[in-house]
Amino acid sequence: MSQLFQISQSALMAALLIYSASFVFYMIAVGGKKWSNREPAAHNRKWGWIAFGFAAAGLAAHVTFFITRWIAAGHIPTSNMYEFMTMLAMAIMLAFTVIYLIYRNTLLGAFTLPLTVIIIAYASVFPSEIQPLIPSLNSNWLRVHVTTAALGEAFFAVGFAAALVQLLRVVDFTRTDKAGKRARRWVEGFLLVILIVIGFLVSVFAFRAAGYEAEFRQEVVKIVQGQEQVSVRTVQYGLPPIVKPHNSEVVRFDPFLGMEKPLFTEPSWMQGVNSGRKLNTIVWSILSGAILYLALRLIARKQLGAVIHPRLLDIDPEDLDEISYRSIAIGYPIFTLGGLIFAMIWAQVAWSRFWGWDPKEVWALITWLFYTVYLHLRLSRGWLGAKSAWLAVIGFLVVLFTLIGVNLVIAGLHSYAGVS
Amino acid sequence: MFSNTKCECGHQNHVGTVLCESCGKPLTETGADDFAPLEMRYDGVARRSQKENPDLIDRVWNFFSSVKIAVWLIVLTLVAASVGTLYPQENVFRETLTYEELSQYYRENYGKAGEVYHALGLTHVYSSWWFVTLLVMIGTSLVICSLDRVLPLYRALSKQQIRKHLQFITRQQVVYAGPAPEDRDAWLERFGEQLKKRRYKVWRDGDALMAEKNRFSRWGPYINHIGLIIFLLAVLGRGVPAWNMDQYMYLDDGETEQIPGTNYYVKNEKFTVEFYKDSELPESLKGTLRPKLFNTEATLYECTESCDDPTKEPVLRAVETHNIQVNHPLSYHGLKLYQTDYSENQRLISVSPVIINKKTGEKYGPFYLPMRNPALTYDVGPYNLTLRDVFLDFGIDAQGRPMTKSRDPNAPAFVFRIKGPDLPETGETYIYFPNRVDKVRFSQDQLNKSVADKLDIRVDSMENVSFSNYTTTLNVRVDRAMPFVWVGASIFMIGVIMGLYWNHRRIWLRFDDGILSLGAHTNKNNYGLRTEVAAALNKAGLSVSEKSLDNRRKTD
Ligand code: HEM
Repeated sequence: MSQLFQISQSALMAALLIYSASFVFYMIAVGGKKWSNREPAAHNRKWGWIAFGFAAAGLAAHVTFFITRWIAAGHIPTSNMYEFMTMLAMAIMLAFTVIYLIYRNTLLGAFTLPLTVIIIAYASVFPSEIQPLIPSLNSNWLRVHVTTAALGEAFFAVGFAAALVQLLRVVDFTRTDKAGKRARRWVEGFLLVILIVIGFLVSVFAFRAAGYEAEFRQEVVKIVQGQEQVSVRTVQYGLPPIVKPHNSEVVRFDPFLGMEKPLFTEPSWMQGVNSGRKLNTIVWSILSGAILYLALRLIARKQLGAVIHPRLLDIDPEDLDEISYRSIAIGYPIFTLGGLIFAMIWAQVAWSRFWGWDPKEVWALITWLFYTVYLHLRLSRGWLGAKSAWLAVIGFLVVLFTLIGVNLVIAGLHSYAGVS
Repeated sequence: MFSNTKCECGHQNHVGTVLCESCGKPLTETGADDFAPLEMRYDGVARRSQKENPDLIDRVWNFFSSVKIAVWLIVLTLVAASVGTLYPQENVFRETLTYEELSQYYRENYGKAGEVYHALGLTHVYSSWWFVTLLVMIGTSLVICSLDRVLPLYRALSKQQIRKHLQFITRQQVVYAGPAPEDRDAWLERFGEQLKKRRYKVWRDGDALMAEKNRFSRWGPYINHIGLIIFLLAVLGRGVPAWNMDQYMYLDDGETEQIPGTNYYVKNEKFTVEFYKDSELPESLKGTLRPKLFNTEATLYECTESCDDPTKEPVLRAVETHNIQVNHPLSYHGLKLYQTDYSENQRLISVSPVIINKKTGEKYGPFYLPMRNPALTYDVGPYNLTLRDVFLDFGIDAQGRPMTKSRDPNAPAFVFRIKGPDLPETGETYIYFPNRVDKVRFSQDQLNKSVADKLDIRVDSMENVSFSNYTTTLNVRVDRAMPFVWVGASIFMIGVIMGLYWNHRRIWLRFDDGILSLGAHTNKNNYGLRTEVAAALNKAGLSVSEKSLDNRRKTD
């Protein structure tokens, strides 16, 4: 079993590297069209195929990871954050393959592959060990539910990638009037958000590689039936504590860049388990994202959107609009089936009610309602182009919040079992 | 604006028509040389909601038939639903709490914000009148918008004219115009063949051609909306009390209980819980108790006789046995029993004690004494016992009288009238505590006074005791609306797949003064339509590129 587990882990690592290579080739396919002595269309086609070949090879490795882990664990690996996220990335590559084969658009690869890489990297933040199932998770309906929901979300992700290219394509970076400036600021702001996510990953892995640790003792006062109850928690940090937990003292603190003690204390109204650590992680992500952004701005000497925009000029925004919409239209029934109907069947079998208004359920409903709005606005009110693209982008943020945010923020606030 | 509704082709259109119902000529002209793609929704046919002088009913109808309003309703529902996830909803508490208790809970756990959240009623968003009203409004809107559109659309699609107005053709999203081929008839034949190969139905009217496929997909949205209506009605139907039951039962091993309000009884034959062995756990979880399986071996009985007669034992007939596990409920004629929880309670199920004559040392028995439903008389050797009273959870009340604190056998006590050697004719009262701790705690020997010197009732060995280690919690449910929920969901899926995985495509073609004009329309996926039209034209001998067919590009 453990040997198979090792093979599985290596397969994922291989997939990650091959995807990264594929990303680079897609960039060459898109960016190298204007290189001297090349025929742009032929260049794009050739490198597009090379990149797609790598993407397919990466997907093969990814599937190998999934199947070997399945065998090693004895159950389909979809039951914790690590497993779910790696599967979501696999589903995105599957959805990408489908959409790519329909539209053969290299730009789609240049934007979907980094998304996949980021999601696998995010998955790797969580413990990768195989965990045994608890009884409520041991259900075929649950497995069908999780996999189909992820596939639906994967099509939304591809729709998001296409919408993002579309926005970068249609926003005019030479315009200086008010509306033009606002559109630029929004796009640029969104790029900054992406860099913050990357900043989060970079800081987590850098400090993990360096073996950084800090620890606090936190006193938690709870009022139970009018009586104060004090309990003590240990809070461990993997990132240097800029913010320490409320009502806590340092047990261990590796100094970092001359920082010997935390600079701030978490506000007292944040009460969840590990909310101090989460806040600290957010501060680190924003800091490192901002540093990344400034560094890139310094190198480019203009807005990042303005760097990307000219490389997209030879593509029709209408095609991107179509791709994004098509991907979402394919994903919508799959998501409805997996994210809502199979979920209801499972809930009915496992919890005796098909719907319980639990935050995760509610957010799946919100995701669905959001894409319903997208379809209606598009169909019946003629929202096309940039408006529709923004909706596709926001929609995927809602998906991500449902998948990650609910566990991290809401569960964290309420201190029922969460992750990280 | 809609004043002149008679088209130049002679057709009299309804008020609100955008494109002539017959020839398709745009009726709301802006300029003769306007080439912008036409608004093709419902083929430009007027809807019920487009009336000239709306009265009140019309206004209500118009309100609910508007997609704009529908979008707002959905957005409001979405926002309300998300607000409800900020703090836990009241339904996480299994017991019913008062307003003050809840207010206190939210204040203590979430501070001022929590208290305000509760006071605003946001702790029960999903059962609030305004949330339910939103859902009802969406339902109404679904019904009305479908009625408003489906008939006009049906009319427009069922009697289509083949020869369309030239403007109608040249203002489609996918267009082609070029010199007419030499032999029109032969070419039309060839082109028609190409379209048939792509599963189009093709009609000709002289030298005009019309081709169409996948019309059924236009009904997809209406079917999915019907599914949603059924689903919403089913959800409302769950509020009907007679359709619904939701209660919890707590059963020790071997215990049988009536399901309240029904003719059914459940017996927990045995409950087992299995934990993962350390070897099955990863490093970080070793040494922790991680449940693997909960299982209640259950039998469901139906009462067949003396069911409502408290003086008689009901006659039970076993109708179903099942291993109830999480994810595997017992199901019988709409009645479902779910494994919900369990608690660790060591309780006696039965004992088989012996009677010892303290004077002679002789031993009689053992005799079988279950905690629940024990027999009323026992003959053990020379002794005769009559059961007078049972206290399953023995205690003393304020007046100093024995009582039972609960119906669970936490501290069982049996009161016998015993007759036999050395005892008076009328017998003596003897109280027996099967649990050794209770015997000491309640001083059995003192309670029994002189009888305690003459005889002793006790359990000889552990083999003669049977324990229940756990109490299983079963959730009993009846939910008669569920089939409708599933039917609604299935219809929704069928409609949504029809509408989103197939597209309705139509192609019109005509010749004017040696010019071939082609227009094509689809309700979605223009890209696919373009590819298809270009391929058909190319195969029929006209060389065109896909992109050149796109009408939208020419206008921006
Ligand atoms: C949560 C509620 C709703 C859901 C999930 C829903 C879902 C859908 C879906 C999936 C489509 C098809 C989209 C497509 O073909 O691309 C659609 C179309 C449509 N929906 Fe809804 N809908 C909802 C509520 C409503 C309401 C309340 C109205 C009332 C005005 C409405 C009016 C329409 C219309 C007019 C269409 C287009 C029909 C056509 O193309 O002929 N929907 N809806």
